[in-house]
Amino acid sequence: MNLESSLVWPKRLHWEKYFRPRDIAEALKILEEFQGKARLLAGGTDLIPQIRNREARPRALVDITQIPGLDEIKLEGGVIRIGALVTHAQVAQSPLLREKALALTEGASQLGSPQIRNLGTIAGNIVSGQPGADTTIPLLVLDAKGKVKSEKGERIVPLTEFFLDTGKTTVDSTREMVTEIFFSPLADHESSVSLRLARRKALALPILNVSVVVSADMKRKKFNHVRIALGPVAPTPFRARKAEGILSSASIADGAIKEAARKAAQETSPRTSLLRGSEAYRREIIANLVERGIRKGLERLEVRHG
Amino acid sequence: MAKEKIQFEVNGKQVFLEVDPDELLIDVLRDHLGLKGTKAGCRGGECGACSIILNGKVVTSCLIPVMKADGGKITTVEGLEKDGELHPLQKAFVEKGAIQCGFCTPGMLLSAKNLLDQNPRPTIQEIKVAISGVLCRCTGYQKIIHAIHSVSKTIPSKEA
Repeated sequence: MNLESSLVWPKRLHWEKYFRPRDIAEALKILEEFQGKARLLAGGTDLIPQIRNREARPRALVDITQIPGLDEIKLEGGVIRIGALVTHAQVAQSPLLREKALALTEGASQLGSPQIRNLGTIAGNIVSGQPGADTTIPLLVLDAKGKVKSEKGERIVPLTEFFLDTGKTTVDSTREMVTEIFFSPLADHESSVSLRLARRKALALPILNVSVVVSADMKRKKFNHVRIALGPVAPTPFRARKAEGILSSASIADGAIKEAARKAAQETSPRTSLLRGSEAYRREIIANLVERGIRKGLERLEVRHG
Repeated sequence: MAKEKIQFEVNGKQVFLEVDPDELLIDVLRDHLGLKGTKAGCRGGECGACSIILNGKVVTSCLIPVMKADGGKITTVEGLEKDGELHPLQKAFVEKGAIQCGFCTPGMLLSAKNLLDQNPRPTIQEIKVAISGVLCRCTGYQKIIHAIHSVSKTIPSKEA
């Protein structure tokens, strides 16, 4: 943001039309009519500041918050489905997600502030494409997928293939809509964790988010596999595949956990940043938080299988 | 730009308005309805000064196109007092010295009200989380937390 625009508060944001479609088909039709000049609006917690900062200049807003049926979290045929209008507050308070996808609950409850969590949606959080987004990182280790609709049809995109660059995803939000996010609930031998480091505990962008899913056989003291996601440590949300490889079928032991944590720090590419600290510091906290996350995941399995 | 007709309830009163479609709720509350208790701070959803309660949830009115509030129910800080009598939270803020410059006070009060409406006997930690969306630059957080806690203790619990 340049100094002038941060000092001046334009009250008017200069979109010409505001639509409130009653179903998904109508929303997509309006987007198509505006040929890239209309944007979908759900929570608005990213889009409205972008318009204010002149990073986006849509001619029309298509408010999808009146569309019925998109605000539900449900378990259906062994799949957890989160509708496009589900807010971070809903995710944070969902007993189903607390039991079957705790890392997502933890990520959502650490995002922004109560006000932002009441407005913002997790579908919006992934479409915004920020590499450290609080709900994206846990969704990556949950192996979530998004259902993307446009006038042309529907496609399913795994979150691992969703992100192209900082702020850029495979979803064109002037033509397409993520209608739901879905993933399998974690099994009894799996646990999940999200950890966050920021300068303050509220209203602060993350210095680092780490999410982990641990799948292990606690009786035989062996990992089945571990999934690790981190952000922001690269232009897009990051899965630490090499670190994951070290723990695949490994014995549960301090050495392997520490080696995986160090590998995660090596395979990422954090840069020195005024907001987030030096590269050396960031690599150190990546190793620390990854180790802490794996241990906490194991702790959770231990408590469950006591 | 064509005007749009909308209506919503503010502090118990129905209002009917003609607005431009690109106006934000914060500006309609302040400039059209004269409810200047809702403060404009960062206008980016980061300071919480513009917090209001919309349909039972505390939200930042600077991030809400006014069209989105059509048909909704809004409480601003002006809606807290009843019949010339301050709300218990307002009294507690005055008594406990939880106000310095006052700019964050409306957002703090509405965050606290929204918390107590849902959870009449919160822990100190729950109070801290509830007000975490509003920045106080006089850094009077301790007194604000104590003021809210003193009110929560006076709400009789269900089992009592």
